[in-house]
Amino acid sequence: MLIDKVISSEASSSEYVLDARDVLAGYGSKTILHELNLHIRPGEIYALLGANGAGKTTTLSLFLGFLAPQSGLVRVNGIDPFTRPTEARKNFAYIPENVALYEHLSARENVAYLLDLAGQHEDASTISNALAAAGLDSSAFDLRVGGFSKGMRQKVAIALALARKVPALLLDEPTSGLDPQATTEFNRLLGLLRQQGVAILMVTHDLLSAADIADRIGFLEAGRLVEEVAAQGQDRFDVRNLHRRYAGQAI
Amino acid sequence: MSIVLRIAREEWRSLLRNRVAVMGTILLTILMLIASLTAWEHQRNAGEERARYQAQSNHEFESQPDRHPHRVAHYGHFLFRPLNALAAFDPGINAYTGNTLFLEAHRQNSANFGDVRQSSLLLRFGQLTPAFVLQVLAPLLLIFVGFAGVSRERESGTLRVLLTQGVSSQQLVIGKLVALLGFSGLILLPAVVGLCLLSVSGASAWAMTLLLIGGYTLWLLLWSLAVIFISSLCQRGRDSLLALMAIWVLVVILLPRWVPDMANAAIALPTRFENEISVQREYLALGDAHNPDDPKFAEFRDKVLKQYGVTRIEDLPVNFKGLVGMEGERKSSELFSHYSTRAFDLQAQQNSFVDGFSLLSPLFALKRLSMTASGTDLQNFRRFLEQGEQYRYNLVQGLNKLQAESLTYADDTNRQKENRIARSNWQAFPEFKFTPGSSIETLKGALASIGVLTLWIMVLGVLSWLQSRRLGRAIR
Repeated sequence: MLIDKVISSEASSSEYVLDARDVLAGYGSKTILHELNLHIRPGEIYALLGANGAGKTTTLSLFLGFLAPQSGLVRVNGIDPFTRPTEARKNFAYIPENVALYEHLSARENVAYLLDLAGQHEDASTISNALAAAGLDSSAFDLRVGGFSKGMRQKVAIALALARKVPALLLDEPTSGLDPQATTEFNRLLGLLRQQGVAILMVTHDLLSAADIADRIGFLEAGRLVEEVAAQGQDRFDVRNLHRRYAGQAI
Repeated sequence: MSIVLRIAREEWRSLLRNRVAVMGTILLTILMLIASLTAWEHQRNAGEERARYQAQSNHEFESQPDRHPHRVAHYGHFLFRPLNALAAFDPGINAYTGNTLFLEAHRQNSANFGDVRQSSLLLRFGQLTPAFVLQVLAPLLLIFVGFAGVSRERESGTLRVLLTQGVSSQQLVIGKLVALLGFSGLILLPAVVGLCLLSVSGASAWAMTLLLIGGYTLWLLLWSLAVIFISSLCQRGRDSLLALMAIWVLVVILLPRWVPDMANAAIALPTRFENEISVQREYLALGDAHNPDDPKFAEFRDKVLKQYGVTRIEDLPVNFKGLVGMEGERKSSELFSHYSTRAFDLQAQQNSFVDGFSLLSPLFALKRLSMTASGTDLQNFRRFLEQGEQYRYNLVQGLNKLQAESLTYADDTNRQKENRIARSNWQAFPEFKFTPGSSIETLKGALASIGVLTLWIMVLGVLSWLQSRRLGRAIR
């Protein structure tokens, strides 16, 4: 897949579901992110790549509302996630690298419980549909997730994200540990969410997978977004070149 | 359903699937039932036995043949402390103080200065009673059930998932607390039912039942808060369990053993032997009330002669021996009362010393409240002793008065003559009736304990609230 460079600064802030402007962020006196500008529109998948310590997780923490920016502006659907975390979190779903679920509950019970907490009370058929859409075999719906593989857990998390019908999705290393078939299946699900207009920020090391699904890819180096490339446009970028340039950094 | 209740419901479902929680609850309920039944059975037997012995003692006292009233005064009389029904719930210091008094002229009643009272501090340990189960074992079960309530969410990563659903960390902590409080209610339920049954049957006052239920509710609320607070403080469930176990051992096991020993060391009570020697020495110095010519009573004799306007005791219209007996009894009773009050004051100081440690271990406050409401505390025992002593004094003085008024001095000093009065005289004496403290007095006595427990709850509540806010920010 070819990817083009994009220039997104022309868009206004109201167009973006996930929006970070001139952000400096870090822990204590240590600054990790420098002048981060990241804007993701509805129905766009943005893959953020970078080496360990480049600031990917810090970026996610900003949108999750677990970290306040030292300066700059962070918004989720127009809401500051740090000062108004509860409201902001109604606007996104989050899938961590290792999907944590309640081991003593079944897949269906997990989704139902977490939906309840998000303020959505869905009937059993809606939950079943979400689980089926996420690709989980129906025989696993009522099994306790304690025995689920990582791929199955991710499907449960995706089902939750589908059922929540939120405008944004935050993903932390979603394809880490998945086999190629599961990765393909996962990307298919992301495509489904994109069609629904969900803005997706995906933090990953997996350039190939990102290139396969993302609309844009951003590269973080030492806390700075050094380059953004896109799948469409005049300056399309060859993924092989990207790989050659960034593989040495162990992204 | 609110988010808090939804979290609590899920926690309950988790508890129902948790073998430790289910088995622990069953075990505790069985223990509570065994403790209640055995305590109640023991209580019933003891109560019946005491009533029977009291009736027998009354009968024997009244059945004495016509005789000299001072012989009646030395025949003696037994008093049995009636059992409060709530003593089955918390026997308090009953097992250590004894419940029987032997009353005799010029003798302090038998219970005062008993060695058992040397360690009548409020904090004995170990009997299997409903109070023991709730005071010692219930917090332990709460720890095992709730230690991982919040820390498990953090450890497994579900805390992050929960928070990103829009749940606030405060809602999470309150939800866990509500779940644990529900569990506490389940633990408390058998005791509540038992206590209410006692009140419904009229065996105990509702005010005391409600005080006990309120006190133990505060106790379990306090522990629920402590468990959730520590659980939200620790990164791992294992750390939370270790910290809570250490707190339980300190608060429930060690301090209640150490502090009474410290109180005994700081404020030593004289032994029974020391007391008896001191009392006997001072008693002998008062003079012999059996001997109207004892020089120690010369001043009294002069006062009486002057009062009646005669110069010889033989000319008095009353029997001077009876009057000397009354005066001697008054003096000796003052002496006994002095020593008794001093001993009780020392014990009160010991208890105040112990109460000071309620800020380190709220168990002290709960125990005091529990024993006060159950009528098994030192104050209640003191009330029994004082009423018994007053009864003894009135009885002996009544007999002395009979001696003074029914027998002449000439007859009474004639060793060849038998001086008897009709037994109907002492049969007319009232029987001993113990009057326990009023509900208002008891409630006032429990106020300090309620205050301490409430203070603990407020402090833990504030700490939990602050920690819950921190919890939402402490994730990276």
